Amino acid sequence: MPPAHVAPSEITGEDRASRSVEYFQSVYELFNSAQQITGPIERTYVIGGYRIRLSFAGTALLSLTRALEHLAVDDHAAPDLTICLWDSESTGQRMIARPWQEEDFLARGVIQGYNTERIYTAFQHGSGAVSVLDTERNLAVFWAPDAKLPYWEYGSPLRSILHWWLLSQGLQLVHAAAVGNSNGGVLIGGKGGSGKSTTALVCLESNLSYVGDDYTLLGMESGPVVHSLYNSAKLNSDHVQRFPALLPKVANPDRLADEKALLFVHEHYPAKVAAQLPVRAVLLPRVTGLPETRWKRVSVAATLAALAPSTIFQLPRAGNEAFKFLAAFIRQLPCFSLEVGTNLSAIPPVIEELLGEIN
Amino acid sequence: MTNQQFRVNTPTVTHETIDGEAVIINLDTGNYYSLVDVGSFIWSLVDKGASASEIQNQIVQTYQGDAQDIDRGVHELLAQLQQENLIVPVDGAGEALDPAQVAPANNHEKPSFNPPSLNKYSDMQELLLLDPIHDVDDAGWPKPVPDLPK
Repeated sequence: MPPAHVAPSEITGEDRASRSVEYFQSVYELFNSAQQITGPIERTYVIGGYRIRLSFAGTALLSLTRALEHLAVDDHAAPDLTICLWDSESTGQRMIARPWQEEDFLARGVIQGYNTERIYTAFQHGSGAVSVLDTERNLAVFWAPDAKLPYWEYGSPLRSILHWWLLSQGLQLVHAAAVGNSNGGVLIGGKGGSGKSTTALVCLESNLSYVGDDYTLLGMESGPVVHSLYNSAKLNSDHVQRFPALLPKVANPDRLADEKALLFVHEHYPAKVAAQLPVRAVLLPRVTGLPETRWKRVSVAATLAALAPSTIFQLPRAGNEAFKFLAAFIRQLPCFSLEVGTNLSAIPPVIEELLGEIN
Repeated sequence: MTNQQFRVNTPTVTHETIDGEAVIINLDTGNYYSLVDVGSFIWSLVDKGASASEIQNQIVQTYQGDAQDIDRGVHELLAQLQQENLIVPVDGAGEALDPAQVAPANNHEKPSFNPPSLNKYSDMQELLLLDPIHDVDDAGWPKPVPDLPK
């Protein structure tokens, strides 16, 4: 039975902990029931060096794996984290009634009263999906009402769960692209419209490898490293016209009036996607309208201000810890403004030149 | 200037100072800020527990400028930081600032005092505004929003 409604302010920390565990267990048991109906499907991925198994109830949500397929492995070794995925429509298994109240939906989908040191719970606005993680059991459940998820959910699937769990392993999701070569990689920050995606995508037709376009994963265990997370690229639909070679590869060509163009890079450029690169510099692209692409040094603080807020404010329960991580990461690196020119094919050689100079 | 002490409004606020530039984020509002030069120095003094009068004394010792201008500049920045909920007053008289915690004043060539300004960025507001719940369906779940920019 789901717990009755009680305002979080009226319950103690101990109650909150037991309620959160109880809620997780209820959702997990419903997943197991759904999987008994449909039969299990499992896929395994190595993300940031960790083996993560996705266990599906039926095929409805399998398309979520397209963005992760470049990290797939075909073995049965024990996973570090298991994520169970199910939807109600295809399995016929109803979801538990939510035990919290309307006012408990907090910013970034965090559910008040159902987040503890052990249990993480978030609601995804737009898709209606619920993500819940039990850090003690290295077990998570992703539920959606149906498989009609918005395009960005397919572009960056399971973002909340991966962010929570990977952070506990010392890896930080960052809203940044990354490209590079044998000299190392550059992290490319900046919000929408800055030229971040343009810079990353133009490298697909160059000598540079592609690590990611929107979200990547940072580690610091042996120097600053960027790991690939999603191989999906998103471009404003009017902007995609500037990449004639990519147009036929867009995964959602019939919905560009309402959605960004979504491209799964691994499906078309499998050899271009690098699983990880040591990071040598951070670039902040800026569209200038001038033909040439140039770089100039900028301060570490300005780079942190460009990278940290757009990361923190898109991830549930991200805050001080993520900010301190990003600051420590960026402090180790030279930072540049990349003044992106209109001659797109000239961008990759400029990045190669920069990487050569830094080394 | 008073002996009023302040503290950084943690955990709502997180901050880092790198090479003399402070980056400050208000995690509740989504606003973020930067301070350079004198502003960053004042921020570091607040973070070390200096009172308003101690901050003013430090600025007078470190920078060259009219005492009234310095008084006004410090006062206005502290007021603005409070208004943005980045710092909060500390009740009661705190301990005096340990002089060893403050960078020694350069007696040879003091830089000129330029009134500090708090640079404020509100472009993350749009991300936070995507969150509020407008409607719930029959089962009590928020209705999916048809489309979001991310």
